[in-house]
Amino acid sequence: MLDTLLPILLFSALLLAAIGAVRRVRLWRQGRPSPAPIIRGLMQVPRRYLVDLHHVVERDKLISHTHVATAGGFVLAALLAIMVHGFGLDNTILAWVLLAATVSMFLGSLVVAKRRSPPPSRLSKGPWMRLPKSLMAFSIGMFVVTLPTAGILPEGVFQSGAGWLAALVLAGVITWGLGEMFFGMTWGGPMKHAFAGALHLAFHRRPERFSNRAGGEHRSTGLKPLALDDEHTKLGVEVPADFTWNQLLGFDACVQCGRCEAVCPAFAAGQPLNPKKLIQDMVVGMAGGTDAHYAGSPYPGKPVGEHGGSPHDPIVARTGSALVDAETLWSCTTCRACVEECPMMIEHVDAIVDMRRFLTLEHGNTPNKGAEVLDNLIATDNPGGFEPDSRLHWAADLNLPLMADKREAEVLLWLGDGVFDMRNQRTLRAFISVLRAAEIDFAVLGNEERDSGDVARRLGDEATFQSLARRNIKTLSQYRFARIVTCDPHSFHVLKNEYADLSTADMPARYEVLHHSTYINQLVTDGKLTFKAWKGGNVTYHDPCYLGRYNGEYEAPRAVLKALGIEVKEMARSGYRSRCCGGGGGAPITDIPGKQRIPDMRMEDVRETGADLVAVGCPQCTAMLEGVVEPRADIKDIAELVADALIIKTPDEKAAQSKPAPASPRATLEVMP
Amino acid sequence: MPHDVSNKSAKQSTANALNVAVLVSVGQHPLTARARRADQDARAVEMALSLENASVSLLHAGPQDSDHEEAIRGYLGMGINSVGLIEQKPQADVIPALANALRASAPQLVLTGTRAETGEASGVTPYLLAEALGWPIITGLAAVEKVEQGVVTVLQALPRGKRRRLRIRLPALATVDSSAPAARQSAFGPARRGELAHQKAASELDEALSTWQFQPARKRPKRLKIVKSSSARDRFKAAAAKADGGGGQTLNDVTPEQGAEAIFKLLKEEGVLS
Repeated sequence: MLDTLLPILLFSALLLAAIGAVRRVRLWRQGRPSPAPIIRGLMQVPRRYLVDLHHVVERDKLISHTHVATAGGFVLAALLAIMVHGFGLDNTILAWVLLAATVSMFLGSLVVAKRRSPPPSRLSKGPWMRLPKSLMAFSIGMFVVTLPTAGILPEGVFQSGAGWLAALVLAGVITWGLGEMFFGMTWGGPMKHAFAGALHLAFHRRPERFSNRAGGEHRSTGLKPLALDDEHTKLGVEVPADFTWNQLLGFDACVQCGRCEAVCPAFAAGQPLNPKKLIQDMVVGMAGGTDAHYAGSPYPGKPVGEHGGSPHDPIVARTGSALVDAETLWSCTTCRACVEECPMMIEHVDAIVDMRRFLTLEHGNTPNKGAEVLDNLIATDNPGGFEPDSRLHWAADLNLPLMADKREAEVLLWLGDGVFDMRNQRTLRAFISVLRAAEIDFAVLGNEERDSGDVARRLGDEATFQSLARRNIKTLSQYRFARIVTCDPHSFHVLKNEYADLSTADMPARYEVLHHSTYINQLVTDGKLTFKAWKGGNVTYHDPCYLGRYNGEYEAPRAVLKALGIEVKEMARSGYRSRCCGGGGGAPITDIPGKQRIPDMRMEDVRETGADLVAVGCPQCTAMLEGVVEPRADIKDIAELVADALIIKTPDEKAAQSKPAPASPRATLEVMP
Repeated sequence: MPHDVSNKSAKQSTANALNVAVLVSVGQHPLTARARRADQDARAVEMALSLENASVSLLHAGPQDSDHEEAIRGYLGMGINSVGLIEQKPQADVIPALANALRASAPQLVLTGTRAETGEASGVTPYLLAEALGWPIITGLAAVEKVEQGVVTVLQALPRGKRRRLRIRLPALATVDSSAPAARQSAFGPARRGELAHQKAASELDEALSTWQFQPARKRPKRLKIVKSSSARDRFKAAAAKADGGGGQTLNDVTPEQGAEAIFKLLKEEGVLS
């Protein structure tokens, strides 16, 4: 009986899976077009899966091994089962391999089951709770049914007496397994992640994220520019179908592992955002329906089941509720922790900014101080609405060389909007004294500098971003410099990664941009700076998101601290897992209330290390962390620590070093053209 | 809630929508002098948009260039589909053109800012316009409470947060200053898509204007008031209090001649008239 039943079961499950696949593809194709090479993309799936995706999964060794055993076992078992039982290939060797594959899959599913008893809060429940049992059903069913083929049990054992009964039970178990593994894969079961995930790897919207054989850095973190030239197109994403098709495909790949939820600072602070739920809501919107079937943690403070949508209905309603509430989107600090953790390579931040673009550019609904900040950026080129000609007032005594006078310099020092903030002015002063100690030929743009456009872009105002960026590019194109150095990781990221998209033939916008920690590290390696011994207490280092996760610079700041003689006491969450300070993405401007503040949680991380001082490298982080009430660790920028430890050579020593320099440094400065 | 009641009654009494026209001008940012939507005019648009059951139309008269157009589009970004542009020569007096346009479109309520941010910025336009149309004028409109049988009940803002309730027969003209609610955000997409409905109109040259001399305004020095007091409360009160002239006087029940004489005397004292 089984000999006839098995092929029927197998092929009908495959047929249903194929029908489901077509339906699923049609759901994705509702999205806007986005170019993706079909064949080349599919060819790259194995490498992207085995190298890039596995690199993320491997951060949790146990689950990584479990997944290899389970998924590897399943893929092999499924292929062999189709050959052996589907086409009746009675090969003992194949049968033995099939047995091994099912055993591997079974062992994996045991660990999957153990992980879910009881499930940690980040994992989704509901249908996901039956997945380990379904895996076991498939593997046990396939194992037993293959035993006769492998010659362990006599042929025909399932065709007489008690065998009939066993065969009946076995058929049921296999049907369950096939239903979950084949049918469920394309009809929205937990196994959907395998089908959509593989295709998502093939047609990812940021193919440059993935490594290749040539090696090198593979990072793609700059936001995609929005085309503003056609005035009749809708700007940003209003309805789920406004996402590109491969974004929709990406949402569908979510495996609901909740790693994003575990690292999201807004979720931890009790703000109404949960990256996992957001992605699931996008899936709900794409397929139509309500979020009532969602079985994971909700948005803090927002019960599940009250929101719903469809592919062509607005995601955010002007009044009342739709698929997602606006405050969910405005809670995000764009820290990219979710994207960094996501084993399915989903781009949460892109999606959030796409939806914010619609809210700002089409609804005019940026919450709280958002509208005011954007108006200031439009009218005064800085978010605070300060007189643009007062950018250098803080440095009246520093005699800063201006690009407008010098026309060229080795280093263009990008000061950023921190010039209007008294705390940041201290950092800038410190860094300038470091540059002077190392005798670097540098200049600033002064009043010609404008906001880099970072805040405007992350608040969704692409028009203001592009306007600021274009004018900055025009200014920069007038001068000659080898590199841009800045103390602000946000300006750093935008100048380095996002201006290039606005390049034109006569005004290229590709610059070598360095964060000041990287540059100081170069100066230290070149032996241009000498330091006193460190006498302070314990120090920890807080990685700014836009320096670390966005640009992969984890080493240089630590190297500088090491050169100062500081041994960094690392926080539990540091490096690529650093917790955001809460200051990115315009979050302090939109200021969505939660249960606690993100910087408070970060300072709690600092406190756990026992450090008396936390070294930072970002004006936002400085402001956010210093806003935490005392008693707490002191906050100092790396530039300040370096400047404090500098041993400045006296003019005599300098004269001794370089013979033809009788003038004092002050006179040298004044003579400089 | 009185507000809700007023909305309901407005709906019942006026079967057809209240026709509101807002006069908008090109503003300029106080620090950078970049063209923008004028703050008070934007507040007037906001007030018009917040009126229930009102159909809002925007009107601008003045010279046309791309900078002005950008600024006018700022009002469209508040969620309005089109703005009427009456093209005028730079030296023109816009009162006749505006009065003609308003007579033709016959709105029941005309809202506008108290004074412009560019040009003469004398704040006289609403008065001249009201005179030309023969309509009553309300200044410092803070809120429209209800519209009933051709009569509008409004709150007028007086100095130091005082409010006065007025009832005015429509049609009327009302000016809005910074005591009105702040304008909503102007969105880029609708601003760019909105329609600029150009209207041709003859320009009447402003004879007086051509004889005027223009020079940049100078900031007048402020008198410092030094408070010698040991009590922090007194010092705080002094710092928080609005500086008032002190020498003012309130005239009640006087003839227009007596009033004019008092004003004339004051202007002479202050050196405005010689």
